[in-house]
Amino acid sequence: MLRISELVNSDASLISRRCWTDQAVYDLEVRGIFGRAWLFLGHESQIRRAGDFVQAYMCETPIILSRGADLRIHANINSCSHRGLPVCRADHGNTRRFICPYHNWSYTVEGELSTIPQENALAGKPDKSKLGLKRVPRLESWRGLIFGSFDPDIIPLEEYLGDMRFYLDAFLGRFPAGIEFMGAPHRWVLDANWKLPVENQLGDVNHGAFLHSAIIPREAQDLIEELGYSVVTRPGHGATFRLMPVDAPVDEVAWGMEGMGGMFGGAEVQEYLRDVQANAAERVGPLRARMKGLTYGVYPNLSFLWSNASFKVSHPRGPGKVEYWSWAVVPADAPDAVKRVLRTNYSSFFGPGGILEQEDSEVWVQQFKGSNIDFADDRPYFYGLGLGEEAPHPQLPGLVSVTANEFYARQFFSRWRDELQAVESGV
Amino acid sequence: MSATASPVQQRALEAFYYREARLLDNRQYRQWLELVSEDIRYLLPARVNVQVDNRQRGEEHMISVERELEGADSMGCPIREETYMHLMLRVERAYKINSWSENPPARTRRIVGNVELMARGGDELSVLSNFHLHYARPGGDSFLYSGQRRDLLLENAGDFRLRRREVILDYADISLPTLGLLF
Repeated sequence: MLRISELVNSDASLISRRCWTDQAVYDLEVRGIFGRAWLFLGHESQIRRAGDFVQAYMCETPIILSRGADLRIHANINSCSHRGLPVCRADHGNTRRFICPYHNWSYTVEGELSTIPQENALAGKPDKSKLGLKRVPRLESWRGLIFGSFDPDIIPLEEYLGDMRFYLDAFLGRFPAGIEFMGAPHRWVLDANWKLPVENQLGDVNHGAFLHSAIIPREAQDLIEELGYSVVTRPGHGATFRLMPVDAPVDEVAWGMEGMGGMFGGAEVQEYLRDVQANAAERVGPLRARMKGLTYGVYPNLSFLWSNASFKVSHPRGPGKVEYWSWAVVPADAPDAVKRVLRTNYSSFFGPGGILEQEDSEVWVQQFKGSNIDFADDRPYFYGLGLGEEAPHPQLPGLVSVTANEFYARQFFSRWRDELQAVESGV
Repeated sequence: MSATASPVQQRALEAFYYREARLLDNRQYRQWLELVSEDIRYLLPARVNVQVDNRQRGEEHMISVERELEGADSMGCPIREETYMHLMLRVERAYKINSWSENPPARTRRIVGNVELMARGGDELSVLSNFHLHYARPGGDSFLYSGQRRDLLLENAGDFRLRRREVILDYADISLPTLGLLF
């Protein structure tokens, strides 16, 4: 039997291949991490009106996220109390009832059982109040981002996010009406482990110069690394960004200008982006106004790609499969025509057709193959680059370093190890 | 809307698509790009599992393909909405030694059929075609891409240029390694 302590060493500079491939490790992840964390479900802009719903996942569990007639947000397991079928098949929509196709048990948007057609022919009436869809025990949102947890005793979401809020707000707070998600997520299934897409988006800026060198020129990558910071606010939560010089021209700082849409999308788009940047210092303060983000991660499996305006979730499907979801994210107050241009900042390079991300997904699949080489079990992966070179910073919360330092991954795996050990030892 | 293609015109359209398929499968992407008009819009809408609308029951529209597409005019997010510049980037990338997802290079084979002229307006033709594209990956994995192409072709002296292509893939849930291929 594998021991978790043998998979990740004390400073997490050595990571066993089995972390990525072993079914027993995965079973511990399901309970010890996904059973106890806040998991991202969606954004409030997706369910604005009463009756609106979208599908989501918490690990492998299908969830209906909905706006009730009471205008409150609800999250329920998408499985009928009678025989277990999904009661919702659409990716998104608006409805008054979710109806199971098998015997037409119907549920309200809030998840309460409404009707059992067969009971009319019978003397005994089941207690419907006990037969609603199973509720996600905890549901909270912050700045429009909705999270759920299977753990009824989990700490409040804001405390869980902690100082990551400082960095998330540098983006979310920039726009007077916040952000919105455009349409259904792009979803694709890859033969890879869920943790590598997470690690890739948590702080791995430096693969850009190598893996993506067919598209990203070396000089552009040098500039990123020169101005770049990597921070970890709490193990598993991290951000990378550039801190632009105080006298940098607005076009070099403004979010969105460096994407395809920003560069070639026309005057209206550029004016909108300059306008956002012109008010940034007032909205998020002078320091964060100079921030030009790259990658973000919120433990365990939410990623935000600031530079290409996308939220992503890495949904596990066993140790060797991942269902990767991503959404284009745009400012809520932008005109529709501007939103349609800005979404191409995401889709040009990321998503299942993205010219950059096709390289990443190839790597994730190949890494899983490499991790299965059992003869190399005595050769754990080297995660020691920059060991101990991170330090606190006078202005930036968390531990801070250059982007080449892999401490973001060591921090992630330290937390991962500790949480799996807790569940392994029955805590 | 429909338009009737003369036998000569039908043969010309099919010959254009066969040539295009050959260039793409032979990895002669630069020559393929010469078939493309510089004002091209190259689109791949997202496809979603949509809610049945009770008010449309009994009607053809209830199960129409259009309802499932989040395309360029929607407030959803198409998977690809590209210009000539995007296509140039993709084409040039193919000839670099570090385009890792195509290393070894893409082994594709496509069968294009059901070529149907739908409408004609001036020198612009609206043409539908279907494709099955087989994509073999190193290590023995292979994938079938099945879909429809909705094209606008510009006709000039018996030859054609591609001005708009909308690729309708037959999948909402994508179990394919990349949708970054040239369809």
